[in-house]
Amino acid sequence: MTKQTKIIAAAAAAVFLIAAALSVYMLRKAPANRIEIVQDGKLLYTFDLNSADNQTIRIPAADGGYNNVVIEDGTVRVDTADCPDQTCVRMGTLKSEHLPLVCLPHKLIVRFAEDGAA
Amino acid sequence: MKYRAFAASLLTLILLTGCGDPAQEADSAPASADLFAMDTYMNLKAYGKDASAAVKEAEERIRTLEQTLSVTDSQSDLYAINHADGAAVRVSADTAAILETAERIGQNTNGALCISLYPVLRTWGFTTGEYRVPDASEIENLLQFCDDRLISHEGDSVTIPKETELDLGAVAKGYTGDAVTEIFKQHGITSAIINLGGNVQALGKKPDGSTWTVGVTDPFSPDQLLGTLPADNQAVITSGNYERYFTDDGGNRYWHILDPETGAPADNGLAAVTVIGECGVECDALSTALFVMGTDAAADYWRQNGGFEMLLVTTDGEVCLTEGLEQKFQPKRELQSRVIRHDETN
Repeated sequence: MTKQTKIIAAAAAAVFLIAAALSVYMLRKAPANRIEIVQDGKLLYTFDLNSADNQTIRIPAADGGYNNVVIEDGTVRVDTADCPDQTCVRMGTLKSEHLPLVCLPHKLIVRFAEDGAA
Repeated sequence: MKYRAFAASLLTLILLTGCGDPAQEADSAPASADLFAMDTYMNLKAYGKDASAAVKEAEERIRTLEQTLSVTDSQSDLYAINHADGAAVRVSADTAAILETAERIGQNTNGALCISLYPVLRTWGFTTGEYRVPDASEIENLLQFCDDRLISHEGDSVTIPKETELDLGAVAKGYTGDAVTEIFKQHGITSAIINLGGNVQALGKKPDGSTWTVGVTDPFSPDQLLGTLPADNQAVITSGNYERYFTDDGGNRYWHILDPETGAPADNGLAAVTVIGECGVECDALSTALFVMGTDAAADYWRQNGGFEMLLVTTDGEVCLTEGLEQKFQPKRELQSRVIRHDETN
């Protein structure tokens, strides 16, 4: 094996290893904490709970009402709302892909995105 | 040697570009829809080439069924039946089919499923949200006309006494799930999940080949899951005392599943009933009927009729599941559980 072919082989091996590492990194499952806030079928917001800042989002409803969605320390909940049943508030923090936070009167849903199920 | 370097480079190229088959990816792209219909939140998700058209058609079908089966919409079949003053009414094929199933399961369960309780539901305020506890004589008066045997149903013609009123709330969502499943099948969809307010119907398997998983709500903490069940071309339908209820000044809880015998919330020791089977409308009807019947009668019904599996949660917190679910139910917390078997009696 000449010196030149050795260099080519080493370079190819290096590229191969870098590509392999990169492929594994890219194909790795996305962190499981992406949420969606949907109102009447329209996607209003998406957040990654792992990186989202603590914040309160006031979401106005078609009937003039509102829901205050709070993102805090990697969790999300409907903190306050002026809907009559308060089911969305009572649900507490979002815990599972199977149990989205739903406000029927305001047609609001807070849920894990498909690749972000708990 | 040059060949070896070339081969290594080629391999690298393959590795860099070999991320999935584009045709397959297009095939597994989901189409989904969120709807608010039938007083609940619905989510449809279908995978496949024709998924968008299938979901769109399903949405239209749900809107049509909502209109046909509504008790309050003055254009609905139900409204026409309830306001006919005892005259015969022609109904759609959908209404006729639902009535047929409800009547059959009502008969098989000795009236535990009753679709003529609407006047009693209304007096409790479950139809309006203006809740109250009616007195016994008022309920007794209304119950005289709450009997599904008073429904005369021949083909597409339905007649009920003037004082009787029907409500298909116990079966409409199950029927709708079946209708959506049928549309998906017609479009060649082999992977879909239909969630109609917690009543779930799974078509085929997930695109990755694994089985769909359905969450079962904990009736004692409805913001949490009791556990999960796999669903493979099955409906998983729950009736529970946590779904719609009110509490009086004394702290007593009153829920919307009424016992047709007493006209009061059904209180036979169960907090929730989940029924798993192939037919959504039957599972829906059974989940209500078995809730009314209580654990022992529900177990007897299952042994005699079969064709479905069930998970009962008693008011004491015990989980009773039929033997087909023994290896399938995955609890999310420590539970006291018991298996209901074919070859035993209560």
